Amino acid sequence: MSDILRVRALSAGYQPDMSILKGVDLKVDAGEFVVLLGPNGAGKSTLVKTIAGLVPIHGGSVKLRGEEISDLPAHLRLRHGLAFVPQTENIFAQMTIRENLQLAAQILPKATRAGRIAAMMDTFPDLASRPGTRAGALSGGQRQMLAVARALIVEPEVLILDEPSAGLSPLMVADVFARLKAINASGITVLLVEQNVRAGLSIASRGVILVEGRVAHDAPSADLADDPVVAQLYLGGRAQEGAQ
Amino acid sequence: MMLQPIMDGLVNGAIIGLGAIGVTLTYAILRFANFAHGEMLSWGAYIALTLSGLLGALLPALATPIGPFSFGWSVPIALVGSVVLTSVLALAVDWLLFGRLRASGAVTIILVMASFGAALALRNLLEFIYTSSPAYFTNALQISKQILPGLRATPDQLLVLGLGAVLVVLVHLLLTRSASGRSMRAVSEDPQLAALVGIDTRAVIRMVWILGAALAAVGGIMSGVIVQIRPTMGLDLLLPLFAAAILGGIGSVPGAMLAGLFVGLAEAFTVQFIGAEWRAAVSFVILVAVLLLRPQGIFGKAMA
Repeated sequence: MSDILRVRALSAGYQPDMSILKGVDLKVDAGEFVVLLGPNGAGKSTLVKTIAGLVPIHGGSVKLRGEEISDLPAHLRLRHGLAFVPQTENIFAQMTIRENLQLAAQILPKATRAGRIAAMMDTFPDLASRPGTRAGALSGGQRQMLAVARALIVEPEVLILDEPSAGLSPLMVADVFARLKAINASGITVLLVEQNVRAGLSIASRGVILVEGRVAHDAPSADLADDPVVAQLYLGGRAQEGAQ
Repeated sequence: MMLQPIMDGLVNGAIIGLGAIGVTLTYAILRFANFAHGEMLSWGAYIALTLSGLLGALLPALATPIGPFSFGWSVPIALVGSVVLTSVLALAVDWLLFGRLRASGAVTIILVMASFGAALALRNLLEFIYTSSPAYFTNALQISKQILPGLRATPDQLLVLGLGAVLVVLVHLLLTRSASGRSMRAVSEDPQLAALVGIDTRAVIRMVWILGAALAAVGGIMSGVIVQIRPTMGLDLLLPLFAAAILGGIGSVPGAMLAGLFVGLAEAFTVQFIGAEWRAAVSFVILVAVLLLRPQGIFGKAMA
């Protein structure tokens, strides 16, 4: 399979003289579902924000379909097929559900906008039942659904999500993950940041573990889940128990 | 006697309202109080005065008053030119000053201080070019007509009121019904998320400067048609503009217009019943009262 997203020797950080990412290499193949794991402060969110164009790059490169996108501002990266859903503040709370989707559809040709909004309403019936509701009044799970719908409306090739399960009930998390599996099955490449290692590895085909701004492990999810070192460090040393 | 201050207040309030819309949009989207906004009213009026003078000199027929109004076609044509040139001026100030400060990560107080400096420079430049003597679009006298018992208005005053109402409805529709308006609201709420949904925030910022400057130019021209044009007219209007923007609720266009009318009425009634020397204090009292009692204004949302 050919890689759709390629990150090479990426250094980045919010301050010019302080890099949080210290030479990250990451390759994501087209149609793959990759989960990005690691302890707090490892740089997971910084990495996905840098790929999305929100954090200044100090060195290295980010390529989408082989095309260099490091210098593109965030709004143009979406137009190149890369959509990002931040962990928090990922919807326009003062606007209605319909307005959030209309806003996201603005970059599409006029003729296709209404059709894409209708398609998202079909995919997320919870949103369709009350399009005039202010987004700020939605529950945590519904907000995540709206944020995902907003990102999907432009039919991106790569969907990046930063901890969409944060703060959700276990039932809601299962629902969000099931939807992400379905989105990936439809052909969209997914890169997911997840704090819950076991849950992340259970839905992704490959796991990448980031430690102190560098990639420490990169392997198929099943291998990582069975790796005693990984289990000791990130799964509470229960890989064998889990396997039995 | 009781009704006349209402007409005077509404006319002045329409001018304040148009200026306050620019203040409220700049504050909501660029997140700083732009004290140079008043100068856009002055520059708008002087640019229109220059253009209408040139048009009148080249084509004297354009200076002949239209129907019941005090001015000829040279003024509406000059208004269009002034709207364009004042917008260019606002974009130039942003390019020279505010844009560079934003790019360097300047904090809000630096932007506010810079706006003070820009206001001073723009005002002095105007005074240098045009002198401090008042100027007029026309020397024609207008006789006010009785509309209701005890209420008189000139055709110019009625036109100002009508134009103000039309413009506020148009701006409100632009913000709530159009893609550009949704983009402006999105940038106002969360600039980073706006970029993630594909909005070019720099284009939105340019749009805000153009819209604010255009409305300020119209407000300045209205003031020039009704009263007179002076280099300090923007400075004199600054406190009422901010009082209206804050009373209406930052980011609210209808709020700014309604609050502008309220400030205008309060000033007119103060002149009528207390004394003309207290007029300038009215905006200050309103500003302080709103900040103490309801900082989010009439239509604004309370901060969490």
